[in-house]
Amino acid sequence: MSAFVIIYYAILLAVSCLAAYFNQRTIFLAAFSLTLVSFVLGIVGGVPALRFVAISAVVLGAAAMISFAFREFLIVLAPKELAKELRTAPLTAAFGMFVIFTYAVAAILAPWIAPYGEAQVVTSAFAPPDSNFLLGADQLGRDMFSRLVYGTRNSVGLALTATTAAFILGASAGLLAATKGGWLDQILGRIADVIMSIPSLIFALLMLSIFGPSVTVIICAVAIIYAPRVFRLTRAVAGNVVVMDYIEAAKLRGEGTFYLIRREILPNSTAPLIAEYGLEFCFVFLLVAGLSFLGLGIQPPTADWGSMVRENATLISFGEITPLIPAAAIALLTVGVNFVVDWMLFRSSGLKEQ
Amino acid sequence: MGDILKLVGQRLGFGLGILLVISLIIFFMVELLPGDMAQAVLGQGATEENLAALRREMGLDRPALVRYFDWLGGAIFFDFGSSAITGERVSAVIGQRFMNTLFLAAYAAVIAVPIAITLGVLVALLRNTLFDRVANVATLTSISSPEFFLGYILILFFAVKWGMFPSIASLSSGMDFGELLYRTFLPALTLVLVVVAHMMRMTRAAIINLLASPYIEMARLKGVPPWRVIVRHALPNAWAPIINVVALNLAYLITGVVLVEVVFVYPGIGQALVDAVSKRDFPVVQACCLIFAATFILLNLAADVGSILTNPRLRHPK
Repeated sequence: MSAFVIIYYAILLAVSCLAAYFNQRTIFLAAFSLTLVSFVLGIVGGVPALRFVAISAVVLGAAAMISFAFREFLIVLAPKELAKELRTAPLTAAFGMFVIFTYAVAAILAPWIAPYGEAQVVTSAFAPPDSNFLLGADQLGRDMFSRLVYGTRNSVGLALTATTAAFILGASAGLLAATKGGWLDQILGRIADVIMSIPSLIFALLMLSIFGPSVTVIICAVAIIYAPRVFRLTRAVAGNVVVMDYIEAAKLRGEGTFYLIRREILPNSTAPLIAEYGLEFCFVFLLVAGLSFLGLGIQPPTADWGSMVRENATLISFGEITPLIPAAAIALLTVGVNFVVDWMLFRSSGLKEQ
Repeated sequence: MGDILKLVGQRLGFGLGILLVISLIIFFMVELLPGDMAQAVLGQGATEENLAALRREMGLDRPALVRYFDWLGGAIFFDFGSSAITGERVSAVIGQRFMNTLFLAAYAAVIAVPIAITLGVLVALLRNTLFDRVANVATLTSISSPEFFLGYILILFFAVKWGMFPSIASLSSGMDFGELLYRTFLPALTLVLVVVAHMMRMTRAAIINLLASPYIEMARLKGVPPWRVIVRHALPNAWAPIINVVALNLAYLITGVVLVEVVFVYPGIGQALVDAVSKRDFPVVQACCLIFAATFILLNLAADVGSILTNPRLRHPK
């Protein structure tokens, strides 16, 4: 029995006992079942398995502490109304906000954070990490860390632009369909049906094969593919608002369609639309990442996470994790946004699931 | 019975209509090319004679509408003309690959469906406990990860570090079934991870929705034991949403397979599509897109028909 194993079990048992003493039922159950599982794991997997469990627990704990601190930080800074809402946010949502905040800082301050340029060849190909190159070098000898930081700007920027395009297209069509109704509604609905019955990745590949991979084509393709989802939601939400009495009153006042949409309908349907924007961003981000992984996204030498995974993929067979880092960056942002959206949906639906 | 057949027939007709529209889109989008297909294949430097010869060979000198019906007529019998680059028959290129893709998707589905539904129901019954919350975070993480991330993690551990499974899913004709399952295990597992997460969440939502309905409350109030509430009252009504969830996720599997095939160099139709897109081999792109779209629509149709068959209320729309 090494010192590590002794400390490991001592901490687990101490946590379980403390939790039981202070009547924290969930924590006690979690800690003690982890102790029991560790007995089995320790016998089957030996010390490395326990070490893995310990590291994951420490990482999770650190993430929880950061989220907690970040939530308190936001509560202090936010105005009173918002602070009240933030207090109800679960730790996962706070973690999501923290991730989004970090990425935003990295994207805006990229040239100051990154030690080298995104296309600058600074060392030999596949150089291992050292004090100058935090994450090593890629297949051409460019600094991985700098490319990762610049990639925040390029990949997230592209996904944001594309999502916004899809959202503007879909939301305006949905609002028009809801206010005008009639044949316009029918036609737009049928078009949305057709587009949604083609798998999104396949449709994107078809368009890219015809018009060639360029940023404009990707944005247009994504806008066309994802607008129908926004259209349906907006139409449903706005459809509920349109039948209200105050809309009738505004119509009788003689207000035009544009005024109705901008001043009456839109302010009353923002909450679900914002949540949908986040959800949509996740889909678009994953689609764009997939496209650039296939070599059809942002073209080199611009740093982009999807293509960075592809370019360094051969390293995987030597047991290196370099290609996993940009992929993890994609996953982390999507997880973060999803956590925040999950909380917002829960809050706006007011659904308490018994 | 007659009205069920009529309803199913209606849905089938609707699906066929959509498929027809999609075939129109797929065919005529290629017509939007700057220049035409021959120009795209030969590039800017091609001489007029070469272009004319290739156009004649590919039948591009005929009007677009005639070519469309020709193409559609062939597509019904799985004949998509010949590749613009190699001149091979497209059906010969993608026929075997399509079978491989179906095999991979079926392999993943056989593992994923029972696991996902069991876990989904379990999570719904244990909602708002620690188990539920952990499951929520885990499934959300799995959904949010790109397929290639999961794929490379599995390769790193199962293939490189522990050497349990091959990292490249190469297939050869003389392999027996066990060998086939062994070689394609990692790509199938990647798909399973993504699909199980989706299915669990959808099953959970469907079951919770169901348990909130008044007749379940009624059954509880009159003192029916919990297991009987589930088996007698909830389950018969749960089939429709569960069938829906399964069919929708199978549809997802069919397209999610593209990225996974590229990661594991699996000889499937997704890989063929990606290759054709980067080589701008339009007949192959069109064929692959049509096949994917048809499968997608078919599965969505199956979801529709399945929920009609298991839910008598849907048979009598108000």
